[in-house]
Amino acid sequence: MRSLATAVVLLALGAGVLDAQQRDTLTRAQRDSIAAADSIRLVRELERLQNEPRAQPPSAPAGTTAGPTNPRLLPDISAVGDIVGDLSPDGSTLEDPSKRADIREIEVALQAAVDPYFRGDVFLGFNDEEGVAVEQAFLTTTALPQQIELRIGRYLLPVGKINLTHRHDLHTIDYPWVVQRFLGAEGLKGTGLWALRIFAPFGFYQELNVAVTDGFGERDEALVTAEPVNRRLSGLTYTARLRNYWDLSQAANLELSGTAITGVRAQPITPLAPDEEGVVVNAVGARQTLLGADLTYRWRPLQQGLYKSFILQAELLRQLNADSPVSTPPLPAGGTPIEYLGPRRDVTGAYAFARWQTSRRGYVGGRYDYVQSYDAAIDPDLHAASLYLEFFPSEFSKLLLGYERVFQGGLGSGFGADALHRLLLQATFALGPHKPHPF
Amino acid sequence: MHRRTFVAALAAFTLAGPTVLAAPAAAQLKVVTSTTDLYDIATAVGGKYIEASHIGEGYQDPHFIEAKPSFVLKLRDADVWAFVGLDLEIGWMPLLLQGARNQKIMQGGSGYLDVSKAVPVLDVPSGNVDRSQGDVHPLGNPHYWLEPENGKRMAGLFAQKFSQLDPAHAAAYQANAKAFAAKVDATTRALAPQLAAIKGKPIVAWHTSWRYFADYTGANIVGFMEPKPGVPPSPSHLAGLIQTMKRTGAKVIIMEPFYDRKMADFVAKNVPGTKVLVLPPSVGGVRGVDDYVALIRHDVTQLAAAVQ
Repeated sequence: MRSLATAVVLLALGAGVLDAQQRDTLTRAQRDSIAAADSIRLVRELERLQNEPRAQPPSAPAGTTAGPTNPRLLPDISAVGDIVGDLSPDGSTLEDPSKRADIREIEVALQAAVDPYFRGDVFLGFNDEEGVAVEQAFLTTTALPQQIELRIGRYLLPVGKINLTHRHDLHTIDYPWVVQRFLGAEGLKGTGLWALRIFAPFGFYQELNVAVTDGFGERDEALVTAEPVNRRLSGLTYTARLRNYWDLSQAANLELSGTAITGVRAQPITPLAPDEEGVVVNAVGARQTLLGADLTYRWRPLQQGLYKSFILQAELLRQLNADSPVSTPPLPAGGTPIEYLGPRRDVTGAYAFARWQTSRRGYVGGRYDYVQSYDAAIDPDLHAASLYLEFFPSEFSKLLLGYERVFQGGLGSGFGADALHRLLLQATFALGPHKPHPF
Repeated sequence: MHRRTFVAALAAFTLAGPTVLAAPAAAQLKVVTSTTDLYDIATAVGGKYIEASHIGEGYQDPHFIEAKPSFVLKLRDADVWAFVGLDLEIGWMPLLLQGARNQKIMQGGSGYLDVSKAVPVLDVPSGNVDRSQGDVHPLGNPHYWLEPENGKRMAGLFAQKFSQLDPAHAAAYQANAKAFAAKVDATTRALAPQLAAIKGKPIVAWHTSWRYFADYTGANIVGFMEPKPGVPPSPSHLAGLIQTMKRTGAKVIIMEPFYDRKMADFVAKNVPGTKVLVLPPSVGGVRGVDDYVALIRHDVTQLAAAVQ
């Protein structure tokens, strides 16, 4: 390698020396002639440039000066407010049931290019319960070869389609039940590294996204394990998603994707006796794997696209739970037998959502949810149906009215007695720079 | 161990294989434009030396194009990304550029071509702006291509950019831009009677997109269907607009094909003798308007016939 570099340097030097020698061999008359020709060429070039149609600078109104629009290199600062109200007949169904209305979250985003190699995104969440939380904060590469993107930090994990959408951008008030139960009420985030690459070897768009993150969902502070569940590398969470996209026509397109995620989560056991420091171990690490598929069909005729559109989205997630989780290191032997209280059964959940645009600013949507119970004898499978009226006064504000009926006992038997009616209102607003429309 | 090697090889092939197996790049410049107007002008200038495609269609609202992944594939291989600018594409362009991860067409890249840099911009706000003024464009009105002088400037900018990226054919690009400008000038000369008929006539436009066209034709826009840019008409605004039309004698409402004409028909019904004219704002906006010169000719001819 070093010899190659030396050769290149020598060649460059050699070329320079040869060029200098060649110049020296020219006669004075030849040099004068060349100089004259150069002058004529220069004058002609100047004439050509003067006659060329010239780009004019934008006309600015009096009192303004030309220059960059962001001379202080400030990042884009934006805020999104998410306010919900609960008019359910049997009491509030909000996270804090003592509240009928709540500012669910104010999200403040700071976004900018960090340098020629990275973009930085920070999303801070503010609410009454959690105070301030770093919802997402990540550095994304912008200059890697092969159009590979690496991201490091905390981000929404690429599990299914809807988990990548911020909650306030949903067309429903909450995430589907399967996402809430399998991934978390606010979706599944992780801190770690992701890699993404797009390709099209078969003539259509494909995107492979892999990620390795610190943990599987939010840590439950009440669960105490003998050692961190991610002590070993096998305890980290690994995610992969393959996204496939087809244009069916100018107006319609289809997306079909698959996801797999595996990691170790803390699951409850019968509490052990306190150790010397009084700490009570009440959980073990148990592997959990999710396999999923999602489908999205969109229709928006180009000419009438301001007024008409339709979207159908469905996701299926299968949660695989370790039947006999092994604790590492082994829990102390003797004493009371330890009973594993975490989920053992593999369960499935799914939802289907459709939304029809009725006018330039109005939409009607509906969703059906299903989540299988870990133990049908104790807790029946969840079925729920919901309807939504969505109104956008502008691109920067949204009003949503949702009615949901949760059939705890399923549609066949037990229907009615356990049914829960939810009536919810949501208002969201966005301040700051115009953000791209989610797709 | 063998299994691990196989998995690693498979992963490497999946990530890098398609690039390795891809055919060598063609000699033509790959140009992607945001709108059909830019596409047509770029094609007129680039001729056989470029391979051009566009994202939006002429009958589509350019503010609300969807950031489809298939567009990302187009941009992934582009040498030039030409866009209208002034935030017209802000609702979708950032997603496409981020998705494509093509350094050539990122801001600061050699192929990042903000065409608005070539034209004088109207309606640049002079004071503080906020969203109470509607979907305001803080950098000015982006619908500048409907002024033929700007069309010529855009052609000049394309010639400069193509010459910079492909100096071997610079003379051809400059000659093509000159020929395009001559064609535009000839069209304006041929349209002189129609332009004279339009000059000073009061009209109503749906959106501020017709400001440059009005400057070119001399039409006097006395009101807009939208109370504020991007805000759909409200009954109270329309009631005021009807009074304005009666007061000023405006008898023509011009609108793009992607708006719902029911509202315009309602206004026309309340101002006797008013015509609603659906004009394409872009190349391909209606059948037969297949290039930039045809677009200008069509819109001027139609408006002249309507105001007479």
